[in-house]
Amino acid sequence: MEEIRRLRMPLSQEDALSLQAGEMVLLDGEIVITAGLPTHHRLVECAAGTREAPRDLRGVGLFHLGSYSEETEAGGFDVLYMNPTTSTRFNALMPGLIRHFGLRAVGGKGGLDAACVAAMRETGCVYLSFVGGGAPLLSDAIREVVSVHWNDLVSHYRLVTLRVEGLGPLTVGIDAHGHSLYGDLNVAAEARLPSIMAELARKRAIAGDPA
Amino acid sequence: MPITYERIKDLTAQLYAWSLRKVPDDTLEALRRARETESNPVAQKTLGILLRSAEMAETQDRLVCSDSGVPTFTIGIGTATRLEGNIKQAVSDGFDALIATSSPPLLKHVTNPLTNERGYRGKEMPLVTWDLLDGADYVDITCQPKALGSGRWAAMEIFTFPTLEQIEGYVMNCVLKAGSQHCPPVNIGVGIGGSFDYCAKLAARATLRQYGTPNPDPTLAAMEARLLKAVNATGFGPMGTGGDTTALGVHIEYAAGHGFTPVAVAFNCWINRRTRARLYDDGRVERLE
Repeated sequence: MEEIRRLRMPLSQEDALSLQAGEMVLLDGEIVITAGLPTHHRLVECAAGTREAPRDLRGVGLFHLGSYSEETEAGGFDVLYMNPTTSTRFNALMPGLIRHFGLRAVGGKGGLDAACVAAMRETGCVYLSFVGGGAPLLSDAIREVVSVHWNDLVSHYRLVTLRVEGLGPLTVGIDAHGHSLYGDLNVAAEARLPSIMAELARKRAIAGDPA
Repeated sequence: MPITYERIKDLTAQLYAWSLRKVPDDTLEALRRARETESNPVAQKTLGILLRSAEMAETQDRLVCSDSGVPTFTIGIGTATRLEGNIKQAVSDGFDALIATSSPPLLKHVTNPLTNERGYRGKEMPLVTWDLLDGADYVDITCQPKALGSGRWAAMEIFTFPTLEQIEGYVMNCVLKAGSQHCPPVNIGVGIGGSFDYCAKLAARATLRQYGTPNPDPTLAAMEARLLKAVNATGFGPMGTGGDTTALGVHIEYAAGHGFTPVAVAFNCWINRRTRARLYDDGRVERLE
């Protein structure tokens, strides 16, 4: 089996710029995760200076992953499992966060829209696609729960920092040069629709559709 | 031996717990077949990752997805069975019992739609569809937890005397709108006809059908086959990063209606969560899926 490229998190600018959409990677190092819309609203407040950020977020990898965290007897936290959520839910808030914090990597599943792609191109940021329903595989990469912030929120909304080893494989869905697989695929599907509809009509005619 | 509150409570809880750990066999088989025929190398690897995740969850007793969703049950009551106790309450209590005992614990996904607050309980939760099964001496229970990939991109529109071209065009529009977002390859259920609520149920029922079991009506079977090809020609692929495998099946159910014809389209993410069992009057439990 061919070797999958391993990247150190948080990503260096050089690594972020070197990635191409469609490439598969594994991550080692520190990542920040949350699946919460209220969390994103708080991050927007942090960016606006009306709330203190619970940790330094400059240049981090911020991923749309929900996790089950619980307090341990020693006063720390365990993360029992994690998995991606749909990133497009956060489309409206991501460009501001990507620019303000100079995020080098974002991710989750389903991609982000064109406004996010433009922000990512400015700051040199990539989008990494995690497999949905990959909880066993993804959770096994967790080596340490570095911090859990905003634990007044339900578990999957918390801002969790993890140290991971071999997290993935993940697919570069959007690279830092403005190339988005999601954008390409939407355009291609729209372009193909007339021929797809023509093929459906041809098959209906063979099947004897009265219409 | 009547079908009691206790038996319904225990089985509904077990079905939900099982659905979070076990990808149905027909779905695993369809994923394996797709991996063999997929021409996009990244998509092929992605299908392999999905299969590995499914295997780990099943063999290591772990959750496939962190989003355990909200429970929905379809319950058919055989008219030859004897019921005893508060059967509706049993389903609700079964869910509470599962929440209290689940290992690992589940995340809070039950959402109050007016406040967006999330917890483990909520109005009318679990969501249950009741049906009668003439002559059967069992209660047939299907559990289908619903999360974003199996609920968010469902859509319905009401047409007047639509042509098949309009119906199929609407299905394709829904597919394009969902795009990369619903954890493909998906199971697509289409409901045609009936009334507003009935049509939505037809689409949901269609998603319960196993892969490889076309509609017995040849007209609908042909429609299912051509729509599956059409959906996979869009190119969204596994996890929406490109490929030949956007859907593993299209299942269509229809009902007569008035001529104002609702068309409903429902999606299930790749996991296609679905478990099913029967409780017999004589005390047996038969697990079907």
